[in-house]
Amino acid sequence: MAELGGLLWVEFCKAWRSKMPLWTSLGSLILPVAIAFLLFVARNEELSHKLGLVGAKANLVAYSGADWAAYLGLFTQMVSAGVFFLLVISISWVFGREFTDGTVKDLLAVPVRRSSILLAKFILIAAWAVLLTMVILVSGFLMGILLNLPGGSVALYLGGSGRVLLTACLVTLVVLPFAFFASAGRGYLLPLGLAVLALLMANLAVVIGWGDVFPWSIPLLLAQAKEPMPPASAWIVILTGAVGMFATWLWWMKADQSR
Amino acid sequence: MSWVIETESLGKRYGQIQAVKQLSLRVAEGEIYGFLGLNGAGKTTTIRMLLGMIRPTAGTATVLGTRVRLGNREPWASVGYMVEVPHAYGELTVRENLEAARRLHPGTPPEAVDKIISQLGLSPYDSRRTATLSHGNHQRLGLAKALLHDPALIILDEPANGLDPAGIVEIRELLTDLTSNHGKTVFMSSHILAEVARVAHRVGIIHKGYLLREMNAAELENERNKSLLVRCSNPETAKGVLAAAGNKVELLKDGTLVLRGANAIEHPEQINLLLVNARVPPSGLRVEVEGLEEYFLRLVGAETEKMDG
Repeated sequence: MAELGGLLWVEFCKAWRSKMPLWTSLGSLILPVAIAFLLFVARNEELSHKLGLVGAKANLVAYSGADWAAYLGLFTQMVSAGVFFLLVISISWVFGREFTDGTVKDLLAVPVRRSSILLAKFILIAAWAVLLTMVILVSGFLMGILLNLPGGSVALYLGGSGRVLLTACLVTLVVLPFAFFASAGRGYLLPLGLAVLALLMANLAVVIGWGDVFPWSIPLLLAQAKEPMPPASAWIVILTGAVGMFATWLWWMKADQSR
Repeated sequence: MSWVIETESLGKRYGQIQAVKQLSLRVAEGEIYGFLGLNGAGKTTTIRMLLGMIRPTAGTATVLGTRVRLGNREPWASVGYMVEVPHAYGELTVRENLEAARRLHPGTPPEAVDKIISQLGLSPYDSRRTATLSHGNHQRLGLAKALLHDPALIILDEPANGLDPAGIVEIRELLTDLTSNHGKTVFMSSHILAEVARVAHRVGIIHKGYLLREMNAAELENERNKSLLVRCSNPETAKGVLAAAGNKVELLKDGTLVLRGANAIEHPEQINLLLVNARVPPSGLRVEVEGLEEYFLRLVGAETEKMDG
Protein backbone atom coordinates (compact mmCIF):
# COMPACT_ATOMS: atom_id res chain seq x y z
CA MET A 1 0.00 0.00 0.00
CA ALA A 2 2.87 2.33 0.88
CA GLU A 3 4.37 1.57 -2.53
CA LEU A 4 1.11 2.48 -4.29
CA GLY A 5 0.80 5.61 -2.14
CA GLY A 6 4.22 6.80 -3.26
CA LEU A 7 3.42 6.10 -6.90
CA LEU A 8 0.09 7.93 -6.62
CA TRP A 9 1.98 10.94 -5.24
CA VAL A 10 4.25 10.83 -8.29
CA GLU A 11 1.37 10.59 -10.79
CA PHE A 12 -0.82 13.24 -9.15
CA CYS A 13 2.16 15.57 -8.74
CA LYS A 14 3.02 15.30 -12.45
CA ALA A 15 -0.60 15.88 -13.48
CA TRP A 16 -1.10 18.80 -11.08
CA ARG A 17 2.12 20.53 -12.14
CA SER A 18 1.41 20.06 -15.83
CA LYS A 19 -1.93 21.93 -15.50
CA MET A 20 -3.45 19.31 -17.81
CA PRO A 21 -6.45 18.71 -15.47
CA LEU A 22 -7.11 22.46 -15.52
CA TRP A 23 -6.98 22.67 -19.33
CA THR A 24 -9.20 19.62 -19.82
CA SER A 25 -11.67 20.97 -17.22
CA LEU A 26 -11.81 24.27 -19.07
CA GLY A 27 -12.28 22.27 -22.28
CA SER A 28 -15.16 20.37 -20.70
CA LEU A 29 -16.91 23.66 -19.86
CA ILE A 30 -17.30 24.29 -23.59
CA LEU A 31 -20.07 21.67 -23.82
CA PRO A 32 -22.65 23.17 -21.41
CA VAL A 33 -21.68 26.72 -22.39
CA ALA A 34 -22.21 25.92 -26.09
CA ILE A 35 -25.62 24.33 -25.46
CA ALA A 36 -26.66 27.22 -23.24
CA PHE A 37 -25.50 29.76 -25.85
CA LEU A 38 -27.52 28.08 -28.59
CA LEU A 39 -30.61 27.94 -26.37
CA PHE A 40 -30.13 31.58 -25.49
CA VAL A 41 -29.87 32.52 -29.19
CA ALA A 42 -32.96 30.47 -30.07
CA ARG A 43 -34.98 32.25 -27.44
CA ASN A 44 -33.91 35.66 -28.66
CA GLU A 45 -35.60 36.06 -32.06
CA GLU A 46 -33.79 39.22 -33.07
CA LEU A 47 -30.35 37.79 -32.26
CA SER A 48 -31.24 34.47 -33.89
CA HIS A 49 -32.22 36.27 -37.09
CA LYS A 50 -28.99 38.32 -37.08
CA LEU A 51 -26.77 35.26 -36.60
CA GLY A 52 -28.17 33.48 -39.68
CA LEU A 53 -26.83 29.91 -39.82
CA VAL A 54 -25.92 29.92 -36.12
CA GLY A 55 -29.46 31.05 -35.41
CA ALA A 56 -30.86 28.18 -37.51
CA LYS A 57 -28.71 25.66 -35.64
CA ALA A 58 -29.77 27.25 -32.37
CA ASN A 59 -33.43 26.79 -33.29
CA LEU A 60 -32.73 23.14 -34.05
CA VAL A 61 -31.10 22.67 -30.64
CA ALA A 62 -33.88 24.61 -28.99
CA TYR A 63 -36.37 22.28 -30.61
CA SER A 64 -34.67 19.28 -28.97
CA GLY A 65 -33.79 21.05 -25.73
CA ALA A 66 -36.69 23.31 -24.94
CA ASP A 67 -37.32 21.97 -21.43
CA TRP A 68 -35.32 20.25 -18.69
CA ALA A 69 -36.05 16.74 -19.95
CA ALA A 70 -34.93 17.51 -23.50
CA TYR A 71 -32.00 19.61 -22.28
CA LEU A 72 -30.69 16.79 -20.08
CA GLY A 73 -31.02 14.32 -22.97
CA LEU A 74 -29.09 16.59 -25.30
CA PHE A 75 -26.58 17.28 -22.58
CA THR A 76 -25.94 13.55 -21.95
CA GLN A 77 -25.28 12.98 -25.65
CA MET A 78 -22.71 15.76 -25.68
CA VAL A 79 -21.10 14.33 -22.55
CA SER A 80 -20.68 10.94 -24.23
CA ALA A 81 -18.65 12.45 -27.08
CA GLY A 82 -16.99 15.32 -25.18
CA VAL A 83 -15.81 13.36 -22.15
CA PHE A 84 -14.61 10.63 -24.48
CA PHE A 85 -12.29 13.02 -26.33
CA LEU A 86 -11.09 14.79 -23.21
CA LEU A 87 -10.34 11.48 -21.51
CA VAL A 88 -8.51 10.17 -24.58
CA ILE A 89 -6.34 13.30 -24.43
CA SER A 90 -5.77 12.72 -20.70
CA ILE A 91 -4.90 9.02 -20.99
CA SER A 92 -2.68 9.69 -24.02
CA TRP A 93 -0.82 12.25 -21.96
CA VAL A 94 -0.53 10.08 -18.82
CA PHE A 95 0.90 7.11 -20.72
CA GLY A 96 2.26 8.59 -23.95
CA ARG A 97 4.26 11.40 -22.35
CA GLU A 98 6.56 8.88 -20.68
CA PHE A 99 7.68 7.84 -24.17
CA THR A 100 7.57 11.24 -25.86
CA ASP A 101 9.55 12.83 -23.00
CA GLY A 102 11.93 9.84 -22.67
CA THR A 103 11.09 9.38 -18.98
CA VAL A 104 9.83 5.79 -19.32
CA LYS A 105 13.33 4.39 -18.79
CA ASP A 106 13.29 5.78 -15.23
CA LEU A 107 10.25 3.60 -14.48
CA LEU A 108 11.66 0.30 -15.72
CA ALA A 109 14.58 -0.86 -13.56
CA VAL A 110 13.09 0.14 -10.21
CA PRO A 111 12.21 -1.94 -7.15
CA VAL A 112 8.45 -1.41 -7.47
CA ARG A 113 6.03 -3.56 -9.45
CA ARG A 114 5.32 -2.29 -12.93
CA SER A 115 1.69 -3.24 -12.28
CA SER A 116 1.68 -0.77 -9.36
CA ILE A 117 3.03 1.98 -11.63
CA LEU A 118 0.23 1.25 -14.12
CA LEU A 119 -2.39 1.02 -11.38
CA ALA A 120 -1.37 4.49 -10.13
CA LYS A 121 -1.80 5.83 -13.67
CA PHE A 122 -5.23 4.20 -14.06
CA ILE A 123 -6.35 5.57 -10.67
CA LEU A 124 -5.28 9.03 -11.87
CA ILE A 125 -7.39 8.56 -15.01
CA ALA A 126 -10.40 7.52 -12.90
CA ALA A 127 -9.97 10.63 -10.73
CA TRP A 128 -9.63 12.73 -13.88
CA ALA A 129 -12.87 11.25 -15.26
CA VAL A 130 -14.66 12.11 -11.98
CA LEU A 131 -13.30 15.66 -12.14
CA LEU A 132 -14.40 16.23 -15.75
CA THR A 133 -17.83 14.71 -15.15
CA MET A 134 -18.41 16.83 -12.06
CA VAL A 135 -17.32 20.01 -13.85
CA ILE A 136 -19.67 19.25 -16.75
CA LEU A 137 -22.55 18.20 -14.51
CA VAL A 138 -22.37 21.21 -12.19
CA SER A 139 -21.86 23.71 -15.01
CA GLY A 140 -24.64 22.04 -17.04
CA PHE A 141 -27.13 22.42 -14.19
CA LEU A 142 -26.04 26.01 -13.60
CA MET A 143 -26.64 26.80 -17.27
CA GLY A 144 -30.06 25.16 -17.15
CA ILE A 145 -30.99 27.25 -14.10
CA LEU A 146 -29.66 30.44 -15.72
CA LEU A 147 -31.74 29.73 -18.84
CA ASN A 148 -34.77 29.24 -16.62
CA LEU A 149 -35.78 26.03 -18.43
CA PRO A 150 -39.33 24.84 -17.77
CA GLY A 151 -40.45 21.39 -16.62
CA GLY A 152 -37.84 20.73 -13.93
CA SER A 153 -38.38 18.35 -11.01
CA VAL A 154 -36.15 16.67 -8.43
CA ALA A 155 -36.88 13.26 -9.96
CA LEU A 156 -35.91 14.56 -13.40
CA TYR A 157 -32.71 16.14 -12.08
CA LEU A 158 -31.72 12.92 -10.27
CA GLY A 159 -32.57 10.75 -13.27
CA GLY A 160 -30.66 13.06 -15.64
CA SER A 161 -27.66 13.19 -13.33
CA GLY A 162 -27.67 9.42 -12.97
CA ARG A 163 -27.70 8.98 -16.73
CA VAL A 164 -24.81 11.46 -17.14
CA LEU A 165 -22.81 9.61 -14.47
CA LEU A 166 -23.52 6.21 -16.01
CA THR A 167 -22.55 7.50 -19.46
CA ALA A 168 -19.32 8.94 -18.02
CA CYS A 169 -18.55 5.56 -16.39
CA LEU A 170 -19.06 3.74 -19.69
CA VAL A 171 -16.95 6.33 -21.53
CA THR A 172 -14.16 5.90 -18.95
CA LEU A 173 -14.18 2.13 -19.49
CA VAL A 174 -14.02 2.35 -23.28
CA VAL A 175 -11.18 4.87 -23.03
CA LEU A 176 -8.91 2.42 -21.13
CA PRO A 177 -7.63 0.63 -24.27
CA PHE A 178 -6.14 3.96 -25.33
CA ALA A 179 -3.55 3.49 -22.57
CA PHE A 180 -2.32 0.53 -24.58
CA PHE A 181 -2.38 2.50 -27.84
CA ALA A 182 -0.37 5.32 -26.21
CA SER A 183 2.16 2.79 -24.86
CA ALA A 184 2.52 0.68 -27.98
CA GLY A 185 2.52 3.81 -30.17
CA ARG A 186 5.05 5.40 -27.79
CA GLY A 187 3.33 8.78 -27.80
CA TYR A 188 0.14 10.70 -28.49
CA LEU A 189 -0.43 10.28 -32.21
CA LEU A 190 -1.70 6.70 -32.32
CA PRO A 191 -4.31 7.05 -29.53
CA LEU A 192 -5.59 10.40 -30.83
CA GLY A 193 -5.84 9.10 -34.39
CA LEU A 194 -7.60 5.96 -33.21
CA ALA A 195 -10.00 8.03 -31.08
CA VAL A 196 -11.20 9.86 -34.20
CA LEU A 197 -11.54 6.54 -35.99
CA ALA A 198 -13.43 4.99 -33.05
CA LEU A 199 -15.93 7.84 -33.02
CA LEU A 200 -16.51 7.60 -36.78
CA MET A 201 -16.91 3.83 -36.52
CA ALA A 202 -19.27 4.29 -33.57
CA ASN A 203 -21.58 6.44 -35.67
CA LEU A 204 -21.39 3.96 -38.53
CA ALA A 205 -22.15 1.07 -36.13
CA VAL A 206 -25.25 2.91 -34.91
CA VAL A 207 -26.42 3.51 -38.50
CA ILE A 208 -26.06 -0.15 -39.52
CA GLY A 209 -27.70 -1.37 -36.31
CA TRP A 210 -24.61 -2.70 -34.51
CA GLY A 211 -24.48 0.14 -32.05
CA ASP A 212 -25.26 -2.04 -29.05
CA VAL A 213 -22.29 -4.36 -29.67
CA PHE A 214 -19.60 -1.89 -30.78
CA PRO A 215 -17.91 -0.73 -27.52
CA TRP A 216 -17.44 2.90 -28.53
CA SER A 217 -21.05 3.41 -29.67
CA ILE A 218 -22.63 1.90 -26.54
CA PRO A 219 -22.22 5.08 -24.38
CA LEU A 220 -23.65 7.09 -27.28
CA LEU A 221 -26.71 4.82 -27.45
CA LEU A 222 -27.17 4.94 -23.68
CA ALA A 223 -27.14 8.73 -23.83
CA GLN A 224 -29.91 8.70 -26.45
CA ALA A 225 -31.96 5.73 -25.20
CA LYS A 226 -35.14 5.93 -23.22
CA GLU A 227 -34.99 2.33 -22.02
CA PRO A 228 -32.26 0.62 -19.88
CA MET A 229 -29.09 -0.64 -21.52
CA PRO A 230 -29.06 -4.36 -22.53
CA PRO A 231 -26.85 -6.41 -20.14
CA ALA A 232 -24.79 -7.70 -23.09
CA SER A 233 -23.81 -4.13 -23.97
CA ALA A 234 -22.77 -3.47 -20.36
CA TRP A 235 -20.59 -6.58 -20.40
CA ILE A 236 -19.00 -5.55 -23.72
CA VAL A 237 -18.02 -2.21 -22.23
CA ILE A 238 -16.65 -3.79 -19.03
CA LEU A 239 -14.73 -6.33 -21.11
CA THR A 240 -13.32 -3.57 -23.32
CA GLY A 241 -11.97 -1.75 -20.27
CA ALA A 242 -10.55 -4.95 -18.77
CA VAL A 243 -8.89 -5.95 -22.05
CA GLY A 244 -7.47 -2.45 -22.40
CA MET A 245 -5.90 -2.59 -18.94
CA PHE A 246 -4.61 -6.12 -19.43
CA ALA A 247 -3.09 -5.29 -22.84
CA THR A 248 -1.36 -2.27 -21.31
CA TRP A 249 0.02 -4.38 -18.46
CA LEU A 250 1.16 -7.12 -20.86
CA TRP A 251 2.90 -4.61 -23.09
CA TRP A 252 4.71 -2.91 -20.20
CA MET A 253 5.79 -6.29 -18.81
CA LYS A 254 6.84 -8.02 -22.00
CA ALA A 255 7.75 -5.50 -24.72
CA ASP A 256 11.32 -4.33 -25.35
CA GLN A 257 11.80 -0.78 -24.14
CA SER A 258 14.48 0.56 -26.38
CA ARG A 259 13.76 4.29 -25.99
CA MET B 1 35.00 -14.73 -6.94
CA SER B 2 31.54 -13.23 -7.03
CA TRP B 3 30.81 -11.00 -9.97
CA VAL B 4 28.58 -7.96 -9.73
CA ILE B 5 27.76 -8.21 -13.42
CA GLU B 6 28.11 -11.39 -15.41
CA THR B 7 26.90 -12.03 -18.94
CA GLU B 8 27.07 -15.33 -20.75
CA SER B 9 27.01 -15.27 -24.56
CA LEU B 10 24.56 -12.38 -24.43
CA GLY B 11 23.08 -11.43 -27.79
CA LYS B 12 20.37 -9.22 -29.25
CA ARG B 13 19.02 -9.41 -32.76
CA TYR B 14 16.58 -6.92 -34.32
CA GLY B 15 15.35 -8.67 -37.47
CA GLN B 16 18.39 -8.92 -39.72
CA ILE B 17 20.51 -6.69 -37.49
CA GLN B 18 22.61 -8.39 -34.84
CA ALA B 19 23.14 -5.55 -32.36
CA VAL B 20 25.08 -7.57 -29.74
CA LYS B 21 26.79 -10.93 -30.31
CA GLN B 22 28.14 -13.54 -27.90
CA LEU B 23 28.95 -10.98 -25.23
CA SER B 24 30.54 -12.52 -22.14
CA LEU B 25 31.89 -10.09 -19.61
CA ARG B 26 32.42 -9.98 -15.88
CA VAL B 27 32.60 -6.99 -13.59
CA ALA B 28 34.13 -7.45 -10.13
CA GLU B 29 32.95 -5.76 -6.96
CA GLY B 30 34.51 -2.37 -6.27
CA GLU B 31 35.90 -1.77 -9.76
CA ILE B 32 35.16 0.80 -12.40
CA TYR B 33 34.59 -1.03 -15.67
CA GLY B 34 34.83 1.13 -18.78
CA PHE B 35 32.71 -0.14 -21.63
CA LEU B 36 34.08 1.42 -24.76
CA GLY B 37 32.81 1.52 -28.30
CA LEU B 38 31.99 3.75 -31.24
CA ASN B 39 28.46 5.02 -31.74
CA GLY B 40 26.23 2.09 -32.71
CA ALA B 41 28.72 -0.50 -31.38
CA GLY B 42 26.10 -2.04 -29.07
CA LYS B 43 26.89 -0.29 -25.77
CA THR B 44 23.40 1.01 -25.03
CA THR B 45 21.73 -2.23 -26.18
CA THR B 46 23.98 -4.12 -23.74
CA ILE B 47 23.17 -1.70 -20.93
CA ARG B 48 19.44 -2.00 -21.61
CA MET B 49 19.75 -5.80 -21.47
CA LEU B 50 21.65 -5.54 -18.18
CA LEU B 51 18.79 -3.39 -16.82
CA GLY B 52 16.00 -5.69 -18.00
CA MET B 53 14.62 -3.12 -20.41
CA ILE B 54 15.04 -5.32 -23.48
CA ARG B 55 14.97 -9.08 -23.74
CA PRO B 56 18.13 -10.78 -25.02
CA THR B 57 17.65 -13.06 -28.03
CA ALA B 58 20.55 -15.19 -26.77
CA GLY B 59 22.45 -15.77 -23.54
CA THR B 60 21.88 -14.50 -20.04
CA ALA B 61 22.75 -11.53 -17.85
CA THR B 62 23.17 -11.71 -14.09
CA VAL B 63 23.34 -8.58 -11.96
CA LEU B 64 24.18 -8.76 -8.25
CA GLY B 65 23.53 -12.48 -8.33
CA THR B 66 20.05 -12.17 -9.83
CA ARG B 67 19.24 -13.36 -13.33
CA VAL B 68 17.88 -10.30 -15.16
CA ARG B 69 14.33 -10.67 -16.48
CA LEU B 70 11.91 -8.15 -17.97
CA GLY B 71 9.51 -6.64 -15.46
CA ASN B 72 11.24 -8.05 -12.34
CA ARG B 73 11.64 -5.99 -9.17
CA GLU B 74 14.99 -7.61 -8.35
CA PRO B 75 17.80 -6.50 -8.13
CA TRP B 76 16.95 -2.85 -8.79
CA ALA B 77 16.89 -1.64 -5.18
CA SER B 78 20.70 -1.87 -5.29
CA VAL B 79 21.23 -0.57 -8.83
CA GLY B 80 21.37 3.06 -9.95
CA TYR B 81 21.48 3.88 -13.63
CA MET B 82 21.47 6.52 -16.29
CA VAL B 83 20.77 5.41 -19.86
CA GLU B 84 21.55 7.60 -22.88
CA VAL B 85 20.42 11.22 -22.60
CA PRO B 86 18.95 11.78 -19.13
CA HIS B 87 15.35 12.98 -19.19
CA ALA B 88 13.25 14.45 -16.43
CA TYR B 89 9.68 15.66 -15.97
CA GLY B 90 9.97 19.18 -17.32
CA GLU B 91 7.01 20.55 -15.33
CA LEU B 92 8.55 19.43 -12.02
CA THR B 93 11.39 21.14 -10.21
CA VAL B 94 14.75 19.46 -9.66
CA ARG B 95 13.70 18.62 -6.09
CA GLU B 96 10.32 17.23 -7.18
CA ASN B 97 11.97 15.06 -9.82
CA LEU B 98 14.30 13.64 -7.17
CA GLU B 99 11.35 13.21 -4.80
CA ALA B 100 9.57 11.22 -7.55
CA ALA B 101 12.71 9.10 -8.02
CA ARG B 102 12.87 8.54 -4.25
CA ARG B 103 9.31 7.22 -4.20
CA LEU B 104 10.21 4.80 -6.97
CA HIS B 105 12.78 3.36 -4.54
CA PRO B 106 10.78 2.59 -1.38
CA GLY B 107 12.89 2.75 1.76
CA THR B 108 15.03 5.66 0.59
CA PRO B 109 14.90 8.26 3.40
CA PRO B 110 13.64 11.80 2.59
CA GLU B 111 17.03 13.26 3.64
CA ALA B 112 18.60 11.48 0.67
CA VAL B 113 17.16 14.16 -1.63
CA ASP B 114 18.90 17.01 0.23
CA LYS B 115 22.11 15.05 0.39
CA ILE B 116 22.29 14.28 -3.32
CA ILE B 117 21.29 17.85 -4.31
CA SER B 118 24.23 19.12 -2.31
CA GLN B 119 26.62 16.37 -3.49
CA LEU B 120 25.93 16.98 -7.18
CA GLY B 121 26.02 20.79 -6.88
CA LEU B 122 22.34 21.19 -7.73
CA SER B 123 21.46 23.45 -4.77
CA PRO B 124 21.17 26.65 -6.87
CA TYR B 125 18.65 24.90 -9.13
CA ASP B 126 16.60 22.82 -6.72
CA SER B 127 13.46 24.94 -7.12
CA ARG B 128 13.82 25.37 -10.87
CA ARG B 129 11.60 23.56 -13.32
CA THR B 130 13.80 21.05 -15.10
CA ALA B 131 12.53 22.20 -18.50
CA THR B 132 14.68 25.31 -18.00
CA LEU B 133 17.90 23.47 -17.06
CA SER B 134 21.01 23.42 -19.23
CA HIS B 135 22.15 20.14 -20.76
CA GLY B 136 24.96 19.89 -18.23
CA ASN B 137 22.58 20.29 -15.30
CA HIS B 138 20.23 17.73 -16.83
CA GLN B 139 23.20 15.38 -16.82
CA ARG B 140 23.83 16.17 -13.14
CA LEU B 141 20.18 15.53 -12.34
CA GLY B 142 20.40 12.19 -14.18
CA LEU B 143 23.42 11.25 -12.07
CA ALA B 144 21.64 12.44 -8.92
CA LYS B 145 18.70 10.13 -9.71
CA ALA B 146 21.12 7.25 -10.28
CA LEU B 147 22.90 7.78 -6.93
CA LEU B 148 19.92 8.90 -4.82
CA HIS B 149 19.16 5.52 -3.19
CA ASP B 150 22.82 4.72 -2.43
CA PRO B 151 23.06 1.76 -4.83
CA ALA B 152 25.83 -0.85 -4.70
CA LEU B 153 26.10 -0.89 -8.50
CA ILE B 154 25.96 2.16 -10.72
CA ILE B 155 25.44 1.70 -14.47
CA LEU B 156 26.10 4.85 -16.46
CA ASP B 157 25.76 5.36 -20.19
CA GLU B 158 28.11 8.13 -21.36
CA PRO B 159 28.06 9.98 -18.01
CA ALA B 160 30.33 12.82 -19.15
CA ASN B 161 28.15 13.80 -22.12
CA GLY B 162 27.35 17.49 -22.13
CA LEU B 163 29.47 18.33 -19.09
CA ASP B 164 32.05 21.09 -19.19
CA PRO B 165 35.72 20.22 -18.38
CA ALA B 166 35.25 21.10 -14.71
CA GLY B 167 32.13 18.92 -14.57
CA ILE B 168 33.97 16.02 -16.20
CA VAL B 169 36.76 16.21 -13.60
CA GLU B 170 34.13 16.41 -10.84
CA ILE B 171 32.31 13.31 -12.08
CA ARG B 172 35.61 11.46 -12.47
CA GLU B 173 36.50 12.26 -8.86
CA LEU B 174 33.02 11.31 -7.70
CA LEU B 175 33.19 7.89 -9.41
CA THR B 176 36.69 7.25 -8.05
CA ASP B 177 35.50 8.19 -4.56
CA LEU B 178 32.44 5.95 -4.82
CA THR B 179 34.56 2.90 -5.71
CA SER B 180 37.65 3.60 -3.59
CA ASN B 181 36.00 4.85 -0.41
CA HIS B 182 32.46 3.47 -0.49
CA GLY B 183 32.91 0.06 -2.09
CA LYS B 184 30.57 0.77 -4.99
CA THR B 185 30.93 -0.80 -8.42
CA VAL B 186 30.64 1.33 -11.55
CA PHE B 187 29.92 0.12 -15.07
CA MET B 188 30.25 3.07 -17.44
CA SER B 189 30.08 3.27 -21.19
CA SER B 190 31.83 5.81 -23.33
CA HIS B 191 33.08 6.35 -26.85
CA ILE B 192 36.10 8.28 -25.56
CA LEU B 193 38.94 5.99 -24.48
CA ALA B 194 40.94 8.81 -22.90
CA GLU B 195 38.02 9.57 -20.59
CA VAL B 196 37.54 5.93 -19.60
CA ALA B 197 41.28 5.20 -19.24
CA ARG B 198 41.60 7.89 -16.56
CA VAL B 199 39.24 6.19 -14.12
CA ALA B 200 38.61 2.60 -15.19
CA HIS B 201 40.32 -0.34 -13.55
CA ARG B 202 39.35 -2.45 -16.51
CA VAL B 203 38.22 -1.66 -20.02
CA GLY B 204 36.08 -3.71 -22.39
CA ILE B 205 36.01 -2.68 -26.03
CA ILE B 206 32.89 -3.48 -28.05
CA HIS B 207 32.70 -3.13 -31.81
CA LYS B 208 29.89 -4.12 -34.16
CA GLY B 209 28.29 -6.00 -31.28
CA TYR B 210 31.38 -8.07 -30.40
CA LEU B 211 33.50 -7.67 -27.29
CA LEU B 212 36.87 -7.20 -29.00
CA ARG B 213 39.10 -7.00 -25.98
CA GLU B 214 39.08 -6.76 -22.19
CA MET B 215 42.14 -5.37 -20.46
CA ASN B 216 43.27 -3.72 -17.27
CA ALA B 217 45.00 -0.36 -17.06
CA ALA B 218 48.54 -1.85 -17.27
CA GLU B 219 47.68 -3.95 -20.33
CA LEU B 220 46.18 -0.90 -21.97
CA GLU B 221 49.42 0.97 -21.41
CA ASN B 222 51.54 -1.89 -22.81
CA GLU B 223 49.39 -2.40 -25.89
CA ARG B 224 49.85 1.15 -27.13
CA ASN B 225 52.54 1.62 -29.80
CA LYS B 226 55.65 3.51 -28.78
CA SER B 227 58.37 4.97 -30.99
CA LEU B 228 61.61 6.90 -30.60
CA LEU B 229 61.73 10.12 -32.60
CA VAL B 230 65.19 11.43 -33.55
CA ARG B 231 66.02 14.79 -35.08
CA CYS B 232 69.46 15.72 -36.43
CA SER B 233 71.08 17.99 -39.01
CA ASN B 234 71.87 15.17 -41.47
CA PRO B 235 69.02 12.64 -41.29
CA GLU B 236 70.05 10.64 -44.38
CA THR B 237 73.49 9.87 -42.90
CA ALA B 238 71.98 9.20 -39.48
CA LYS B 239 69.47 6.78 -41.04
CA GLY B 240 72.37 4.86 -42.65
CA VAL B 241 74.26 4.72 -39.34
CA LEU B 242 71.22 3.48 -37.40
CA ALA B 243 70.27 0.93 -40.06
CA ALA B 244 73.83 -0.39 -40.17
CA ALA B 245 73.56 -0.97 -36.41
CA GLY B 246 70.51 -3.17 -37.01
CA ASN B 247 67.71 -0.69 -36.29
CA LYS B 248 64.60 -0.43 -38.38
CA VAL B 249 64.38 3.25 -39.26
CA GLU B 250 61.77 5.29 -41.05
CA LEU B 251 62.53 8.77 -42.35
CA LEU B 252 59.57 11.12 -42.35
CA LYS B 253 59.16 13.97 -44.83
CA ASP B 254 60.00 16.57 -42.17
CA GLY B 255 63.38 14.89 -41.55
CA THR B 256 62.36 13.09 -38.34
CA LEU B 257 63.70 9.56 -37.92
CA VAL B 258 61.31 7.06 -36.36
CA LEU B 259 62.56 3.93 -34.59
CA ARG B 260 60.02 1.39 -33.36
CA GLY B 261 62.31 -1.31 -31.98
CA ALA B 262 61.96 -2.19 -28.30
CA ASN B 263 65.69 -1.71 -27.68
CA ALA B 264 65.70 1.80 -29.15
CA ILE B 265 62.62 2.78 -27.11
CA GLU B 266 63.98 1.38 -23.86
CA HIS B 267 67.55 2.69 -24.38
CA PRO B 268 67.50 5.98 -26.31
CA GLU B 269 70.89 6.83 -24.73
CA GLN B 270 72.49 4.05 -26.84
CA ILE B 271 71.04 5.58 -30.01
CA ASN B 272 72.38 8.93 -28.91
CA LEU B 273 75.86 7.44 -28.37
CA LEU B 274 75.78 5.71 -31.75
CA LEU B 275 74.97 8.93 -33.58
CA VAL B 276 77.52 11.01 -31.61
CA ASN B 277 80.26 8.48 -32.39
CA ALA B 278 79.32 8.62 -36.10
CA ARG B 279 79.60 12.46 -35.97
CA VAL B 280 75.85 13.00 -36.66
CA PRO B 281 74.84 14.08 -33.16
CA PRO B 282 71.06 14.30 -32.61
CA SER B 283 69.46 17.64 -31.82
CA GLY B 284 66.51 15.93 -30.21
CA LEU B 285 65.40 12.52 -28.93
CA ARG B 286 61.87 11.77 -27.74
CA VAL B 287 59.88 8.63 -26.92
CA GLU B 288 56.35 9.07 -28.18
CA VAL B 289 53.46 6.94 -26.89
CA GLU B 290 50.53 6.32 -29.21
CA GLY B 291 47.51 8.39 -28.24
CA LEU B 292 44.60 6.55 -26.70
CA GLU B 293 42.25 7.52 -29.50
CA GLU B 294 44.79 6.41 -32.15
CA TYR B 295 45.19 3.11 -30.31
CA PHE B 296 41.43 2.64 -30.11
CA LEU B 297 40.89 3.40 -33.79
CA ARG B 298 43.83 1.14 -34.75
CA LEU B 299 42.39 -1.71 -32.70
CA VAL B 300 38.87 -1.22 -34.05
CA GLY B 301 40.18 -0.84 -37.62
CA ALA B 302 42.29 -4.00 -37.40
CA GLU B 303 39.40 -5.99 -36.01
CA THR B 304 37.06 -4.64 -38.67
CA GLU B 305 39.52 -5.79 -41.37
CA LYS B 306 39.69 -9.20 -39.70
CA MET B 307 35.87 -9.46 -39.62
CA ASP B 308 35.47 -8.25 -43.19
CA GLY B 309 38.33 -10.45 -44.39
